[in-house]
Amino acid sequence: MLALGAVAAGAAILGSMLGLGGGVFLVPIFTLFFGIDPKLAVGASAIVVVTNSVVGSSVHLKSGFTNLRLAMLLQVMTATGAIVGAIYGVNANPAVIYVVFGIVLLYAAISMAIPRSNRNVSLGDDSLRLGAVFHDPATKQEMAYVPKRVPQGVGISAGAGILSGMLGVGGGVVMVPVMNLLMGVPVKAAVGTSAFMVGITQVAPSFVYYANGKIDPGVVVPAVIGVFLGGQLGAKLTRKLKAQRLALIFGVVLAYLGIRMIFQGLGIHLLGA
Amino acid sequence: MDDAARAQTERQAIAGFELRAAEMAPLLARVGAVLRWMFRIGAGLLVLGIALALLRREPLGARVDPLAEVIPAVLAGHASGVIDLAILWLMAAPVVATVVVLAGFLRMRDRRYSIVTGLVLAVLAVSILRALR
Repeated sequence: MLALGAVAAGAAILGSMLGLGGGVFLVPIFTLFFGIDPKLAVGASAIVVVTNSVVGSSVHLKSGFTNLRLAMLLQVMTATGAIVGAIYGVNANPAVIYVVFGIVLLYAAISMAIPRSNRNVSLGDDSLRLGAVFHDPATKQEMAYVPKRVPQGVGISAGAGILSGMLGVGGGVVMVPVMNLLMGVPVKAAVGTSAFMVGITQVAPSFVYYANGKIDPGVVVPAVIGVFLGGQLGAKLTRKLKAQRLALIFGVVLAYLGIRMIFQGLGIHLLGA
Repeated sequence: MDDAARAQTERQAIAGFELRAAEMAPLLARVGAVLRWMFRIGAGLLVLGIALALLRREPLGARVDPLAEVIPAVLAGHASGVIDLAILWLMAAPVVATVVVLAGFLRMRDRRYSIVTGLVLAVLAVSILRALR
């Protein structure tokens, strides 16, 4: 249990530095290096993501970064997709989980290289009353925005929900770039809104995994404690390190884990694996 | 629309958003406070359960038990029951936050987002009821 907790803390430090949460690293490490059943690892990850969201989103809510109307609109499809993904995930062949997870990790690695947009976007039609403004303490500016391409954003949310439910990851890895790059939401509002959403998204899969006996306290307890402590340390370390260099290093780590997961799913064992 | 007219329209829109932000601020604070307290209580239960397990050398269960079995286990003082309750409590935190959001939109008489939030709660209710069945 101590080893699981320490590894979970390490996963959370990496995840926190990249703004991805611990789940993206947790499932590959638990399955590849501890031999834990992928369904138990995904179940544990779902609880960890909920806990991380509960802790992390309260900070963003206080800062006024979270757009509750946008979160709820996208959440209808994300939560629905998450139930579908979880029901598929608990019954799926573990090889499928390995391969799909590997592809998501490779996507996350590539997304590390895409620069986030933080410009003050032009204000367009706000018939859905989703427009908002918040104070950015870093630039000392008021950031006003109206989310664009809402139907496309809602559609992609369903896909993000399916992946979240199936793999026990928060979905922030998909939703933050979608909100920021596709919908024109400033990056801090996208991160704050996503942090709140991922907790709600993972509630549905958590209960599906719970109903199927896939929530093992022996895995969940060290994971929750490790990720909570690691997340705090990661947030502090992030302020002291250069973000661009981190993104490059962890992009390589994510790509490595992604390739290992895909090979594991295909039954190909790498040297030293 | 020339640049001056566009700038004027944007200034008016931003003024409207600032009013909206002021209206939303109490709801954001309430949701944040609910999440913080849900986490504190959940973390407290988790620590209590671990302390009981260590003191009594009780093994943790291989899975979180059904809710009908968790409550009697807690009342009997079993560490595994307290840990199961902590995990279920943390799982419930975002649901409680969503209920608070719904109450906030209803109080603001925002019918559209009350319905949208109600739909989210309905989706969550399906998965929870399925799990507790």
